[in-house]
Parts: sequence; C-alpha cells; structure tokens
Amino acid sequence: MPTTLDTTRFGTYGGTFAPETLMAPLFELDREWKRWTNDAAFQAELADLLANFAGRPTALTHAKRLSKELGCELWLKREDLLHTGAHKLNNTLGQCLLAQRMGKRRVVAETGAGQHGVASATACALLGLECVVYMGSVDAARQRMNVLRMELLGATVRVVEHGQKTLKDAINEAMRAWVADPTETHYALGSVLGPHPFPSIVAGFQEVIGREARKEFHARTGKLPDVVVACVGGGSNAIGIFRPFLPDAAVELVGVEAGGLGVGKGQQHAARFAGGEPGVLHGCYTYLLQDDDGQIRPTHSISAGLDYPAVGPEHAMLHDEQRARYAWATDDEALRGFEVLAEREGILCALESAHAVGWVLRERAELAGKRVLVNLSGRGDKDLDTIAAARRAKDGA
Amino acid sequence: MSAVDKLELRLRALRSTGRKGIAPYVTAGDGGSAVTLAVLRELADLDVPCVELGLPFSDPIADGPLLQAANDRALATGTTFEEVLEILSRFRRGGPGEMGRDLPVIVMSYANPLVRRGWANAVNALARAGADGLLVADLPIEEAGAMHAAARAAGIAPIFFVAPTTSEQRTTTAIQLSRGFVYAIGRLGVTGARTELDEPAQAFLSRVRRVAGGLPVAVGFGITSAEDVSAALRHADLAIVGSAFVEHVHQAVSQAVAPRKLDAARLATREFLQVLASGVPG
Ligand SMILES: Cc1ncc(COP(=O)(O)O)c(C=O)c1O
Repeated sequence: MPTTLDTTRFGTYGGTFAPETLMAPLFELDREWKRWTNDAAFQAELADLLANFAGRPTALTHAKRLSKELGCELWLKREDLLHTGAHKLNNTLGQCLLAQRMGKRRVVAETGAGQHGVASATACALLGLECVVYMGSVDAARQRMNVLRMELLGATVRVVEHGQKTLKDAINEAMRAWVADPTETHYALGSVLGPHPFPSIVAGFQEVIGREARKEFHARTGKLPDVVVACVGGGSNAIGIFRPFLPDAAVELVGVEAGGLGVGKGQQHAARFAGGEPGVLHGCYTYLLQDDDGQIRPTHSISAGLDYPAVGPEHAMLHDEQRARYAWATDDEALRGFEVLAEREGILCALESAHAVGWVLRERAELAGKRVLVNLSGRGDKDLDTIAAARRAKDGA
Repeated sequence: MSAVDKLELRLRALRSTGRKGIAPYVTAGDGGSAVTLAVLRELADLDVPCVELGLPFSDPIADGPLLQAANDRALATGTTFEEVLEILSRFRRGGPGEMGRDLPVIVMSYANPLVRRGWANAVNALARAGADGLLVADLPIEEAGAMHAAARAAGIAPIFFVAPTTSEQRTTTAIQLSRGFVYAIGRLGVTGARTELDEPAQAFLSRVRRVAGGLPVAVGFGITSAEDVSAALRHADLAIVGSAFVEHVHQAVSQAVAPRKLDAARLATREFLQVLASGVPG
C-alpha cells in the first residue's frame, strides 16, 4: 500500500479523501505548487500584484477609542482595506497565477459570503482566465451585491439550489465541476479546507497577513501582542494571521467560530469545536458538525462566510495541541461587534470579522490590560441588507 | 465459504464462461426500506451477477443530480446505517417461501458514515448483515489502509476505483488491493450524465483489462442504455447502471398508488433490466 507522505496531514487531520478522478489533478497541483512557490519569478510577480494591484501591505490600526473603553490595547489588521474588501484576494491572486502557470484556461470556485467569488472573478479578469463561481441560493440572496460584482467582473455565477443552499452545497458543486474537467480547469478553493494540498496552498498564500502584522506590530509597540484573534469559517484568515505567531509561545491565539443562535443542544450554529467531532467532509478529516449516523448537520450563522459544518484541518491540529483556543460569538454578539466598531472607530466591518470583535467585547474582563490584535478580515458593505433587517427585527420585537 | 470467495467465484465463473452482465446500483431506502427490499428480491430472481447497495449520505460529491436526489429521499425516509443493515439482513433471511439469497451485494458508501463508527465496527456490521464487498467513493488507496484491513479481516471484498486520470502505477496498486472486481470509472465527471464510451475510453478500459489479469473489471458512471451496456462490455465484465435505474424505479414507485408500490418497484426493475439486457453480448 502506498503510504501517504506526512506533508498531507496536520497531525492526524487533513489527508486526501477525494474521488479517484481527482487524485491525478491533486498530485499535479501538489507538484506544481511546490515548484512555483520556489520559483523566484513567480514569487516576484505575486509580490508585485499584492503590492501594486491589491494594495499590500494593509494598515495596522490602533483602535484608540475602543481600547480606552475596554481597558485593553486593541489593534486591527485591516484586511478590509485590501482590494475587493477581504483577505480572500491574497489567495486567489496566488492560485490564479498558479493556474495560469499550469496552463489551465478556466477556474471554478465556490463562495459563501461572495468575497471569495469576487476575489476569484477579479483575479481571473486580471489574468485572462474564464471564471465560474458556485453559490448557494440562500447566500446569493443575502449577498446579492456580491453576485452583481462577480457578474460585472465577467464571471458566471451558478446558483446552487439543493441541500442547505449555502457554502457546503456550493463546494459540493464546485468539486463536481472539477471532476468533470480536471485537465482544463483549476479549482480555486477559498479557504484552508478540502483535500491536500489545498489547506497548505491557501495557508501559504494567506500567511502574508501574519508576517506583515507581526513585523508592524513589533515596529510600532516594540512588543508582540498578548492575544491574536480571528474569526474562523474554513479558517483561512485565521491561519494567515496565526502562522507567523506560532513560534511565539507567549502569544495566545484565539479563533472565533459562529455561535449562531447559541451553541446549546438543539440550537443552530456553526461552532465545530463546540459541537462537532472528527470526520470526513470535502476531502479532509477534521472537526465536523454531524449527527450520530455521520450525516452532516445543518448549520446557521448570520454571516454566510462562517456558515459551514467543517473547519480547516490545521485548526483541528492547533485545537488538539492546545496551541490555539477556539471560542464562538453568537449572531447577536457579532451584530453588536459590528455596531460598536462602526460607532467608535469609523469602520464598517464584515459580519464574519464582527464575530472576532464581538468576542473581544464579551471577554473584556479577561482581556483587560492586554495587547489584543484582531484580524479584520473584510469590510461590511456586502452585509448592509442583513444588518438593516436584523435591526428592524430587533426594533419590532 | 467467505463472502470474498463467494463473490470472486461467482464473478470469475461469469468471466470464464464468457458471460457478461449488468450490475445495478440501488440507493438503500429510496422509497422506503420495503421498496429497496422488493428491488433486491427482483434482482435476485433476475439472476444479475451482483448488485451495489448505496448507503445514503448527505453530501455525495461524486454523484450527479439524480443520485443526489435519491440520497436525499432515502435520508428523508429515515434511512440510517442500522436501517441499511436491517434491509440487508432481511434480504439474506429471505421472504416467505424464498430461498436464502446468494446474490452478491457490494455496499457503496462515502467515508464519513463509516468513519463515524470506526472502520472495523462498520465493516464488521456490514459483513454480519450479509455484504460481500465494500466500495467507498471518496476513499482513494492512499487513505484506505484501515478500510482494507477491516474488510480483509471481516472476509468481505475491498473494491477500489480507477479513473481515466489514474496513473499506471496507481492502477496496478488499486487492482492489487481490490478483490471481487475493480471499478473503472468510464469517463471524467460525476454519476448520471450521459456518457459515450468513445475510443479514448475504450483504450483506458482495455488498459485496465490488461493490468487486471484474472480480476473482473466493472465499468460505471453514465451507463443508461442497451448501447451503453454493449460498449461498456467490450472490455469489461460488468456494466454498473446507477442513476438511470434508480430514476426509472423511482418514477414507477412514485406514480403507483400505495398498495401497488412494491409491485411497481418489481415490475420497473424487471422492465429496465430486460431493456438493457439486449446490450449484453451472447
Ligand atoms: C470577510 C470574511 N472573513 C472571513 C471569512 C471566512 O473564511 P475564512 O475562515 O477562510 O477566513 C469570509 C468568507 O467568506 C469572509 O468573506
């Protein structure tokens, strides 16, 4: 029996649980990714795009009013300022450049919040690739501005009508599309999920967030943060900011999942570490929300980007090793995080990112006196409909 | 005789007599357990070489819309792992006046429902209920160590896939690890959509046939008509018919009134197999 190289795993998590037809394309991707990430010209081209097209480095903002109010020192890594409005572009520029080097002419992607879809459509427009984005109909409705943006960027949006009609079902369809045409098509997965090598590829392209943040934080304060906080959907913005801090044992890493309507029994949420157990979904072994029979459980989050039943396998490892801690924030706590950041700091952040802010607000006692770095993964324009509706519902109640 | 021996004896006999056959796929619990049982019994009467029994899963990424819908219907009727075991053991016990059924049954699953129970537990339970083989859609040979060991220990056949994209070396390994037969995916894509087993596909199947030596070869994904069966059986021993069969039975059952559903399932099964049988050579 051929043995799997350990590089396909994070501890016992990860792996390559893919249909046979995808094995050769995954091997090819693994080879090409290793080749091009060691290629100076490829790296230079990516660095140029990140700087002069996407707008890196992104700012590091000291949130002074909120710091004073909370009694901690709060800093924000501003991925919301990246072109297209979220960290997702770091990954799609890398993957689409890779797809181009591999001679692919078409890119398929899934999207939940629409940010990865927009970032894929953007990178494809820039590099002259055809782009098809799968999106659940529930998400297409709640993030309709992003559907329009993708279409204006020349992408085809395929709305997925089955299952829960959210991110999980969009990934099912994108994988099916890749199985049908693995030679001409690259599947640009949007988070640190799926079969090897995707979790490693995506983490590699997102690490730039943490590298910049660590360096800039140290330059500005002469110290490292005590706590680094990021929201966790699949986990790409979190891994991106966590990785460069992993060797700094004193820096606490906190991932915030979607607590939805509450994480108690019978309540709907997407907090995999609060209510999940290890299993296999979408190509990897990791923590999943599932029932006793191994069927995937429905999830709920006010933010489409966190509304997914599995978490990236590297997070599963960091969780078990207790190198990172995983918490959650409910829909209401995220809304509160959004409002407070808007009113005190003049930033409308994405509802995904607002979960990290909401957690900081709730845990202010524990965080008192500490240096806290929050990864603000995206901006909130896409969520204004949802937020307005939630406020109306609250006023009406 | 172990289940593997029974399966191999039966399929190798088929091969040595030059007889080839159709192996239907059924989603367990689609239409309810009684319908699945009726279909299995009809298939046993029709003396097909073997049948694939699908364990329903919420996220079947290798399947097209027809089988996704069948999985959803089966889950909606409450088809659990235990229920699939129950269907299998009832089939094995036989109905009133029936002989114990010796039709080989290959269970086809996705990894998670089995991982959930632990490979050894799940595979032993399937073997005890009367399964002869196991095929897992998202479990390539690299990840199959525990499944393979559990299947061999329980005396059922581990079966692996090869696809047109599979390298020579992995084809050889998949064949070495498989018992009963090896499953060749006839074309790129998910189950269901129409396929045409054109020249490149035939070249692939003939390569698999050569490497497989004495091990029977099954071909599946998109076989819907007698012509497809005939093309599939040019190089392969078994033509696996999934979506088209499942959909045909589903239509018949959902159009029948309640007391007639089981008869409708049996009749639809018989009709469908008769139409496809004209594609089976001599
Ligand atoms: C702004 C923003 N943050 C976070 C996420 C969640 O993804 P991840 O956990 O991979 O960072 C998304 C996903 O759509 C997003 O749009």
